[in-house]
Amino acid sequence: MIEVKNLWHIYEGKRIALKNVSLSFGNEIIALVGPNGSGKTTLAKHMNGLLKPTKGEVFVDGINTKNTSVAELSRIVGYVFQNPENMFFEENVFKEVAFGPKNLGLSGEAVEKRVKWALKLVNLSGYEDRSPYSLSGGEKQRLAIACILAMKPKYIILDEPTTGLDERSSEGVKRVIQNLRKEGHGIMLITHDMELVLELAERVVLLYEGTKVFDGAVDEFFQLNLRNYEMEIPELLRISKSLGISFVRNVDEFVNFLLERVRT
Amino acid sequence: MMYTIYIERDSFLHRLDPRVKIISSLLGILAMILFNSPYLLFILFTLLSLSLRFFGKISLREQIKVLKPLIPLIIITIAVWPFILEPRTFGLFIGLGYALRLASMAMITFGLLMTTTQKELILGFIKLKMPYEIGLTLTIALRYIPTLFGLAQTIIDAQKSRGLELEKGSFFSRIKKTVPILIPLIIASIKTAHELSIALESRAFGASKKRTFLHTIQMKGKDYIALIFVLLLFGLALYARYQLGIGYVRLY
Repeated sequence: MIEVKNLWHIYEGKRIALKNVSLSFGNEIIALVGPNGSGKTTLAKHMNGLLKPTKGEVFVDGINTKNTSVAELSRIVGYVFQNPENMFFEENVFKEVAFGPKNLGLSGEAVEKRVKWALKLVNLSGYEDRSPYSLSGGEKQRLAIACILAMKPKYIILDEPTTGLDERSSEGVKRVIQNLRKEGHGIMLITHDMELVLELAERVVLLYEGTKVFDGAVDEFFQLNLRNYEMEIPELLRISKSLGISFVRNVDEFVNFLLERVRT
Repeated sequence: MMYTIYIERDSFLHRLDPRVKIISSLLGILAMILFNSPYLLFILFTLLSLSLRFFGKISLREQIKVLKPLIPLIIITIAVWPFILEPRTFGLFIGLGYALRLASMAMITFGLLMTTTQKELILGFIKLKMPYEIGLTLTIALRYIPTLFGLAQTIIDAQKSRGLELEKGSFFSRIKKTVPILIPLIIASIKTAHELSIALESRAFGASKKRTFLHTIQMKGKDYIALIFVLLLFGLALYARYQLGIGYVRLY
């Protein structure tokens, strides 16, 4: 369980990025949403120790992040950054994924096992000898996830995992997230993609100007007036609402509702 | 993190035409090369510092702050000369002179940068007939420092999240650990440069040989007076060095 208690973060003693935020997050898919500058990334960076609280505390499975290095916390909390290219430096995919497990001090055989397992989970088996820079956008994003996954963290934070991806690549990333959930990982999605939230999230936390303004179920979240927070509800929900259809998660559910209505 | 060392003040030096400041700085650096006597160089260094204080409103603390990174180099300069020149005390004396020369040259350069905005500086160079392309390259390079710094920080965060411990290990292992930071940074810089060149070309960069400027600079009376004063000072330095033989100690 990751527990954030009365967290404040003030950059260089001036700009207040987080104001008294508290939340806990465990074995679930939680979406952290809010407009640009609302404090999402700042909050997420506290969870693996990249940032230390100005005030308040963050505990990761009972460990206070204040006194723990990022390297130590990376065994428990994985953080996939928004631009995957920011982490690639090796000549091939295999070595790129192996970097994290090597840093953890694993033996050669264990590293190889982890790399193969991680690549399989993100559907990149067979890409071992390719250069990370030669991959497509979606493949790069999945490789970035594999790099973190190979360290077997209990919790994974994904910063804008579908931004800039085409529909097909985006679907590929969504499938990987579902696989991770099945594997028992706790997942935090930092996103502006409301369709991703609608489809995958089990809980939503909304930040606005550094304050937590909502923490609850997905259907309740989409009942908020999101325009007040510079966001829009997904088209699918807008259409289903205007047709008087109750909350749907995806197109399949929507079609089923329509068919049901036609039948009755 | 310091991206630019320009300090905004309302002072005589800040208001001076950048061309005068650039020419003065070059002549000042040349003048420092003329002398090696620590006595004279100490006086010149003190005068430079006081000029910056009173004509540029740059406090002594601010001057020391920008000179601080040079301290190791200054110490090395002082320490090396006693091993080159005999007797050792003479070597130390000369070492002090060279250290003061280095500090003075740095003070002149930093003085220029602390009292001139990047925009003015580039404009000054261009008006002094530097090719516009080089001026633009310099401007872009300076403007991208904060961007690159931000990117480097993101890359460091990303690699730390993969268990990289930059603070641990011997000096050499720490150097080796910068590879995962440097490679993504270099690749991102090359990509940005490529995209930027396309963006410049798509906005007709280089389409016309004659170009106009949105902001321009004009030499005023005080600028001419300052320039004449600096030229006179430089002439005086040449006269002192070559006619009167002041400020130079023979090494061998």
